[in-house]
Amino acid sequence: MRHLLQLIIVSLLITSPSFIGAMELIDQVGNTVTIPEKPKRVVCLSPSLTEIVYALGREDILVGATRFSDYPEAAKKLPRVGTYVRPDLEKIVALAPDLCLATRDGNPLVAVQKIQALGIPVFALDPRNLEQVMESVSLIGNALNAQKKAEILVKDMQRRKKQITNRIKTTTTNPTVFFQIDASPMVSAGSNTFIDELIHLAGGINLTAGPRQYPRFSWEEILHLKPEIVAITSMAGGQSPEELKNDWQRWPTIPAVKNNRVAVVEASLFDRPTPRLIEGLEKLATIIHPELFSHD
Amino acid sequence: MTNRPAPILAKVILISLALIFLLLACALFGLSTGSTGFNFAETLALLTGSENSNPIAATILWEIRLPRIILSAAAGASLALGGLVFQAILRNPLAEPYILGISGGSAIGAILGMLAGLSVFPGVPLMAFVGSMLTLCLIVAPTTRQTLVNSNSLLLGGVMVNAFCGAVIMLLISITRASKVHNILFWLMGDLSRLTPEGMNILLAILPCILILFILARPMNLLLLGNEAATSLGLNVKRVILSLLIATTLMVSIIVCQAGLIGFVGLVVPHIFRLIIGPDHRLLVPACALGGGSFLIACDLLARTIPAEGEMPVGIVTALIGAPLFLILLWRSGK
Repeated sequence: MRHLLQLIIVSLLITSPSFIGAMELIDQVGNTVTIPEKPKRVVCLSPSLTEIVYALGREDILVGATRFSDYPEAAKKLPRVGTYVRPDLEKIVALAPDLCLATRDGNPLVAVQKIQALGIPVFALDPRNLEQVMESVSLIGNALNAQKKAEILVKDMQRRKKQITNRIKTTTTNPTVFFQIDASPMVSAGSNTFIDELIHLAGGINLTAGPRQYPRFSWEEILHLKPEIVAITSMAGGQSPEELKNDWQRWPTIPAVKNNRVAVVEASLFDRPTPRLIEGLEKLATIIHPELFSHD
Repeated sequence: MTNRPAPILAKVILISLALIFLLLACALFGLSTGSTGFNFAETLALLTGSENSNPIAATILWEIRLPRIILSAAAGASLALGGLVFQAILRNPLAEPYILGISGGSAIGAILGMLAGLSVFPGVPLMAFVGSMLTLCLIVAPTTRQTLVNSNSLLLGGVMVNAFCGAVIMLLISITRASKVHNILFWLMGDLSRLTPEGMNILLAILPCILILFILARPMNLLLLGNEAATSLGLNVKRVILSLLIATTLMVSIIVCQAGLIGFVGLVVPHIFRLIIGPDHRLLVPACALGGGSFLIACDLLARTIPAEGEMPVGIVTALIGAPLFLILLWRSGK
């Protein structure tokens, strides 16, 4: 929290004559960025940033987003500026933004530097865990003049997180979880991922915790791991939830299959560092500990 | 013999002028087209400086499209010349840096540089150059003065090294974490949008290389006669071949760093010009440099504008156009 407070400190400074009413903010990667005091045209370089801007109620100043920015529904209508790994510089410049929100995890450094060189301030976010997601919401709130709304959002996230963890405290069982991100190849989540953190908070043990962020697995290894619970993310345009589950039905020796504890969850609740991660946490908690949450 | 240089000089100038015109036309078309639309009149007005009213259009033109056109021209020229040189040295129509693994070697170097978190300049380009020089050594090392004459062993070695590089690249990608892989994959497929001001300075190193190739154009003609014949005509075959290889490798590694792997340019452009203007390298070197640039600018134009979902990697376009074109040439030459 001390770190958060440091970052929230906003120093008002007029650094260049062209920026009447500019302010200096420290972004999440530690860079000092000079941005307009009241940004009027904002471009988001990842779907999660677009989502946060909507959550903060500042879609009025949002003029562009990357492809696959599909949440909330209205975001689909925003002008597209390429993908988050391949931003279209020409489209970004043509939208004349006075602020660009970027993410360190995904946006190519070369592209970000080029945007800065073109005179567009880039405010970068780099959330690595749930706490830092809340921090990034606050930071974007500061940058976009939505501090109040940010505070409400963060408080709500904290409250819901507390609700889950308090209830998890009452149980002593920690089922083992295999979280399937991708089917071919079979990919799961290691330590230092949101998924690992959410499994832990939801009272489960991540079977694939380890130094590799997204390790691959063979069925042989999975049979050996004997997961008690399997969570599968649904991939857009891929297989249906039934097909995803059927892949597992072939292996009745796996405890999760035998006890019918294979669940399909929505991918965007787990792979986007947005306030909706809390929704993912709630989903996961009911999957891992239905006995604690079934009456909700 | 006394009156021969004059006509060839005239020919060089004529062909160069014609291709400079083509290059400028392609560049102008490329400059006026982009993901935000096509506006020829506005571009012309901006270029001639008669309009200053639209700062956004000016930024897009000067800082986004122009660097891209410059990189396309430089990459097209280097890769076409790379193909030309390798085809002359190996006397094999299939030779080009992409197929011989020189590009693959510099890609490995660059990927390792990226994974190690080296700076965009000079770290990664240096690694790419080291990578390509190492692959070059791998190809050349087993050859002695005798086997250098037998260009088949050079070609065979190159094909093997390329297969090896391909495997190493796949290995590096498969062990890299997901978010970095996207970056590398897009770059590997060819991405001309990355040129930075420092990158622009590195590109200048290509110019002396082109000059070296132009100076060595006559020796390249002699190489076509076979290495023994060239030696008997007083050519230091080994020195010429090594200078050619080093100059080409330098150019190719610079381009791989800036633009990733772009195939088929080195294959298609030299063959087209051989069909049009004959086998004289004094004409082919300037023709490939200028024509290759035009070809890649045109391909990039298609890559930028055709897909509705946003631009696609230019390597896809060069392969989609290059491969069928090459097949047509093959059928026609077989008749």
